[in-house]
Amino acid sequence: MATAMKRRLDAPLIITLFVLSLFVFAPMISAFEYSVRTPLKGGYGWDQYTWALKEEEFLHYLLRSGWLAAVTVLITLLVLVPTLTWLHLSQSKVRPLIDGLALLPLVIPVVAFAVGAQISFPEVMQNTVFELPFLYFILALPYAYRSLDIGLNAIPLKTLTEAARSAGANWFWTINSIIIPVIRGAVMATVALTFALSLGEYTLTVLLHWDTFPTWITYVAQDNILGAIAISMMSLIIPFLILTGITLVIPERSAKGRK
Amino acid sequence: MSSKSLTLRNISKKFGSVLALDNFNLEVGVGELVALLGPSGCGKTTALRVVAGLENQDSGKVLVGETDLSQTPAHKRNMGMVFQAYSLFPNLTVEENVTFGLQMRKVSKHLRKKKAEELLELVGLPTHSQRFTFQLSGGQQQRVALARALAFEPEILLLDEPLSALDAQVRVNLREEIRRLQLSLGTTTLFVTHDQEEAMAISDRVGVMSHGKLEQIDTPDTLYNKPATSFVASFVGTMNYIPAELKDGHVEIFGKKIPALKNANAAGAVFALIRPESISVNSDSRDHNAKVLTRLFMGPSSNIVCQTNDGTIIQSLMSSIETGDLHPGSTVKLEVLNKEVLVSNA
Amino acid sequence: MTLKVIEEGALPRGRAFLTFSPRSLLPAIPLLLILGYFFLFPISRLVYVSFLSNDHTFTLSNFETAFKEPYKTGFLNSIKIGLLSAAIAAFPGAIAAYFIESRGPSKLRRTIAVMSGVLANTGGVPLAFMFTAAIGLQGQLTKILKAAGWDIYSGHFSLGTFQGLLVVYLYFQLPLMIIVFSPAIVSLRKEWAEAARNLGANQFNYWRRIGVPLLFPSFIASFLLLFASGFSAYATANALTVGNLPLTPLQIGGLLDGNVSAQQLNLGKALGVVMIVISAMAVIPYLIIQRRAARWQQR
Repeated sequence: MATAMKRRLDAPLIITLFVLSLFVFAPMISAFEYSVRTPLKGGYGWDQYTWALKEEEFLHYLLRSGWLAAVTVLITLLVLVPTLTWLHLSQSKVRPLIDGLALLPLVIPVVAFAVGAQISFPEVMQNTVFELPFLYFILALPYAYRSLDIGLNAIPLKTLTEAARSAGANWFWTINSIIIPVIRGAVMATVALTFALSLGEYTLTVLLHWDTFPTWITYVAQDNILGAIAISMMSLIIPFLILTGITLVIPERSAKGRK
Repeated sequence: MSSKSLTLRNISKKFGSVLALDNFNLEVGVGELVALLGPSGCGKTTALRVVAGLENQDSGKVLVGETDLSQTPAHKRNMGMVFQAYSLFPNLTVEENVTFGLQMRKVSKHLRKKKAEELLELVGLPTHSQRFTFQLSGGQQQRVALARALAFEPEILLLDEPLSALDAQVRVNLREEIRRLQLSLGTTTLFVTHDQEEAMAISDRVGVMSHGKLEQIDTPDTLYNKPATSFVASFVGTMNYIPAELKDGHVEIFGKKIPALKNANAAGAVFALIRPESISVNSDSRDHNAKVLTRLFMGPSSNIVCQTNDGTIIQSLMSSIETGDLHPGSTVKLEVLNKEVLVSNA
Repeated sequence: MTLKVIEEGALPRGRAFLTFSPRSLLPAIPLLLILGYFFLFPISRLVYVSFLSNDHTFTLSNFETAFKEPYKTGFLNSIKIGLLSAAIAAFPGAIAAYFIESRGPSKLRRTIAVMSGVLANTGGVPLAFMFTAAIGLQGQLTKILKAAGWDIYSGHFSLGTFQGLLVVYLYFQLPLMIIVFSPAIVSLRKEWAEAARNLGANQFNYWRRIGVPLLFPSFIASFLLLFASGFSAYATANALTVGNLPLTPLQIGGLLDGNVSAQQLNLGKALGVVMIVISAMAVIPYLIIQRRAARWQQR
């Protein structure tokens, strides 16, 4: 190869993408095909989807999961952004400790965590907004932490903060109006992955006998398999499309002058 | 292996719609160090990479000696190259890095070790052979990179802005070492940089590039004193552009008639191109023709910025001792010290 | 000199040890509180209770039972499926990551990153549906393959078996590999490949001496993470198998449900603790290797 490797769609990449697409989309398309079958009428139709959307429980559980996921995202941002900003700015010696702690949830299998959670929290908290979102926060922590960490690494944090503070801004304003916009990409990625993780979290939820959208799908499957498949398809494809759309629309901040 | 000459003949290279090299020609003689100097995007790095085989030219030839290397892949071209930064292999020790080229050429382990010792001694890092990249400073890394490039005694040495990522003092020291090494080994060398002081300090000849073309290639002296184009004039060093009238081959500046160097294009209202060090500032004499705006103290010399009565801003470079009494507002007499001046069209 | 210090005051010097003065930790307190109560506390309690007998006395009997049948098979199966799903997904995932990161245009890479994120988290019932629809007994692909001459059900294959589950696990293991391994690919500097070529290395030599040695630790680390992922997976196994395949996460789930009445109330806790230990044996080396690799991956 006489030329430097350029970014181009050449043969190995295309083959890789082709094989990957087959692997990824074959099951999806098969399931989708199932979900648009109308066994009673013969042929295809959106019956299952319209049924699902009309089901009142659909909206109920979707909103419930959405609400829990939103609270999780809120907790994540409120706790991590100030903490990480401080860690980056202060060069505190506890930073390696906190970095390590934030990665610890990766070590614990969710099933084991569920067992621990089951025997640890008072009845009054169970199945409420005071427990679930925090547990989801723990599950998402390694990824959210790393995502924000990388985002903060990429900006001249000290300079920005000093500029804002010397101009008279307090901490709240500095973080809100200066830092978050600059690390917008990382924040969006964190929001996306935390939201997706919370919305789709099944294992912890079902083992602790809570009711959310994913557990409801399983319940529906017992009576109406086609309907459940339709719902599953929606729960997969819609976040996927939204996230992909957001990613493509947001321009990537690239370091200039890098060879 | 004795060094050979390097020739680029009619090299053109496009990146998408951008013409990086425009029918570029260059000859580097045996044992010569030629610098390619120019602003970002002028094509100097592209030219170097075409020589190295890391880019394929659209048209033209690369010759080493008499041999046409245009179709030879990069790994067979037998040229040593030093990159700007980050080019040392992080998983190998300094010694393994230095001997990598020899290892590729199937040199025995024993000989490789000897050569590594020799080269590390040469670049001033004899005790660092077992270190890893992350344990070295920027300057040390570039020395290792240099040793690595020279280990297999290449016919051509290529340097792609090797000092740009280093601190100022390290840069000055290292550039002298590069020149010293290059001279003692007699290796034909092509050196790319955007720092004109660097280029002028160590090169046999300097080629100033702009927009994929060579504006002028000459010895540093000639380039400095006889710039062929206004781009070269302003890129290399600082230049004063003094408006004057060209009459009978002379221009009148500060009351003195000075012969103008022949320039076919220039006539009538022209600029006289005069270096700051060729303008003297005098507060003693009585007929003053300018006012001092600022004095920039730079240690042994000072930059005096003046404004003439007709509004032209002139820079003068003089020793600090001679100009110690000057301050903003002082009136002075400016004088041109050249025996003849360059002119260009207004 | 002591006099001078007393007169002028000691110069402020950096401390040589970690100080945990409350004030310096203030901003980190919310995070630490949440981590402490919602994470460290349940885990500690889990460990504590695993050593308790039904009468709240100290015992090792929970662990003794945990290593007997059927739980022993459960562990073996879980470890097996973790290892196999990681082994099968690791190399293709690495290759895919290489081509995507090194050749893909920016938009493509970001899209694939998002897709991989979604796919890596796909599991449970939706995933079970997709595969049942695709390669279940009545599945689309099953029919297509049969027409092409390959009856995948001619042997003992079924989605609810170990092999079936393994195939389904690949669906999220492969994207996970791409996610985890891609940063290592990105960190391979173009300068190294160019320097290697310049020094006389062809593609093979570059990979042999530079590329592979640099990527290998990250590859192993990624494999370890994939193992932990396959080992710990619950939702998908629960959706596809009907209790016929002993797997530790399922067994624990059963004990939590109360479906399986155990004489030992705290057996599930012991199983959980063993799960944590096995998972830690993979994830902690993963974290250590990644930290060391970060040295040369600094961009």
